[in-house]
Amino acid sequence: MSALPTGDRGPEVLVPHWLAAPQRTQLATAVRQALTSRLVHPVAVIHLEDVLTELHVAAARDAVWPASAARVRLATGWDDDVLPVRLSAAELSSVLTLTELPPSVRELLSGNGTA
Amino acid sequence: MTDTRFGGSAGLLQRLRPARVDVADLRDVAETVLPSLTTARLRLELVRRSGAGSLVVLEEDERHQRVHLAELADDMTRAGVPATHDGISDALVAWVANRPVTDAAAAAAGVAVLDWVDRAETAIGWRVVVRRGALALPWTPSSSVGSATLDRTRSAATGRAGDVPLDLRVEGPVALWSHPDVPLLATAALVAPERMLQRIAAAGLDMADMHVVVTPRRPVACAGPAIAARLAGETTEASVTVAWARLADLPWL
Repeated sequence: MSALPTGDRGPEVLVPHWLAAPQRTQLATAVRQALTSRLVHPVAVIHLEDVLTELHVAAARDAVWPASAARVRLATGWDDDVLPVRLSAAELSSVLTLTELPPSVRELLSGNGTA
Repeated sequence: MTDTRFGGSAGLLQRLRPARVDVADLRDVAETVLPSLTTARLRLELVRRSGAGSLVVLEEDERHQRVHLAELADDMTRAGVPATHDGISDALVAWVANRPVTDAAAAAAGVAVLDWVDRAETAIGWRVVVRRGALALPWTPSSSVGSATLDRTRSAATGRAGDVPLDLRVEGPVALWSHPDVPLLATAALVAPERMLQRIAAAGLDMADMHVVVTPRRPVACAGPAIAARLAGETTEASVTVAWARLADLPWL
């Protein structure tokens, strides 16, 4: 692990949010509803589309390398369907502005609570 | 590093406090097990010697191995093999199954797959493997193999690899390829990326600039470059991302 020099933007940091399958479905539904409503700012549209991509990529990541998430589930006692969904700060804030987002998912994403 | 030559990995406790595999027990098991594994090409023999200790002789085509029974018993102990008749028997069967691949077997049944170039898992290359049950074993050409035979074997293995049936799972913008029984074979389809692209397109996914994320022995992930980077960039596991057009440029191991 190395610290980036101050002022260097570097690659975007993606922070894991551990969500169970129903919560991932709720998140995807809320994002799709927002995208079809056409009331979203064009920049936010890009971030929200990336969130939909990440939901698929999180599942693909777990299919290719299941061991690391499995270790966390074993240590925490979480169910098998809990996966880390990795979001950038911009993606997360775009999601948190959605009125369609169920309160339970909002709580998980905005706080440190998990699954 | 875990010794996988004796089959499944032992539990942690068994590896920390292994019960000793006795040479006499191994000799008893070898006397009954080895004859049952012998074939027309594969000669397995237990050579009893009073002073220097007994040997297991394994001969198949150009491959010859002579292993001291005491050494084999020690290796089994270190690998955490249960010191029971069944445990030793299973380990001996697995040891024979893990024997080196002969030049003739590679020429007749070799399949091209991608494997790690080095133990540090920093780069990948093509390798000829031969399937034995649930195992895919690497072929190291013997010193008698000339360049023409080497080319023929690799070329035939490449042809066979394209015919290995793989499972395709589409996860949004990501296509995942896996082999139901032998994880190392998941990369076999990469010998013919155009055929993969056709199958991905038939599954409803448009992937013009396909990039492939490869971790040998794990499912292969295909996606556009940005998504492939997102997939591979957020894991601590070793992987190599390659544009599909560059797959043919990877070296042979």
